[in-house]
Amino acid sequence: MNEIKDTEARVNITHAGKNGDLPDPVMFQSTDADIKAWVTEAVRTGGVPGIDAAPNADFSDFVVDRFTATEARPHNLLVVRPKTPFGFSSCEHCKECFYKALGLGCCVCPRKK
Amino acid sequence: MIVIIGVGALGSHLVQFIRNERVDIKVIDFDRVEQKNVMSQFHGKPSVGKTKVTALQQTMDFLFKRQTSVVSHKLVVENIDVLLKGATLVVDCLDNGASRKLVQDYVRKHNLPCLHGALAPGGEFGRSIWDQDFVIDSEVGAGAATCEDGEFLPFIALTAAYLARSVQLFLKDGKKIGFSISPVGVVAI
Repeated sequence: MNEIKDTEARVNITHAGKNGDLPDPVMFQSTDADIKAWVTEAVRTGGVPGIDAAPNADFSDFVVDRFTATEARPHNLLVVRPKTPFGFSSCEHCKECFYKALGLGCCVCPRKK
Repeated sequence: MIVIIGVGALGSHLVQFIRNERVDIKVIDFDRVEQKNVMSQFHGKPSVGKTKVTALQQTMDFLFKRQTSVVSHKLVVENIDVLLKGATLVVDCLDNGASRKLVQDYVRKHNLPCLHGALAPGGEFGRSIWDQDFVIDSEVGAGAATCEDGEFLPFIALTAAYLARSVQLFLKDGKKIGFSISPVGVVAI
């Protein structure tokens, strides 16, 4: 990783259970869309050490968390991560959900709140 | 006093991981232990049918002689003042956005330290994150619930262990260190 300036950030990515950093820092104020586009390109081409190349990688449903530098971590950090659904309103009838029983997941259920 | 809200996949393991801390522990959860919970939560088969808080209280007493106080009610706007009274640290291990929002609004209004634990489906990502950095994700991604079978027990316990580490560091000197956790690496926040 190159030196990270105050206006830049390290980008940490989790994909398919693997984790790694973009080789180069990006501007901390970059938009989520730009960051996801760069990350998508890097992961698809195998450009992220620690993450296997995934030609069909899709980060459109991922989240970009932004953390400013701290004493313990003297550089800004961008974390590109999957969503954490343990923190959402869930379907009231999840336990009996027909769709879930089929292995499709409650998310496709038309009764999902 | 640490108040842990939700003692399912993350919260139940967290309680046993912080058992050596010299601080009172209160746990809040209205749910009961189901057979499937035994696969991934710190609840044993003899506890099936009991409220999760009672089951955990008895387990902690039996295994470690560790006392905990328990509340077997759902946290709602009408009782949150009473249930969080005396808390010096709130840990949110809830499984629904509405309750998380209730907790977040309360701790921000009362300037209470609050740590949030969260998991992604598929056992690929976990979070131990302090409230100032915590944003409740806006929609559910596809996938099955993480805690419904035992496949992700090691990762659930790993995430709970980092939650416990965040708690430890806070109790030691007030530092608010969070973690982004994947199965192959951890980033301190």
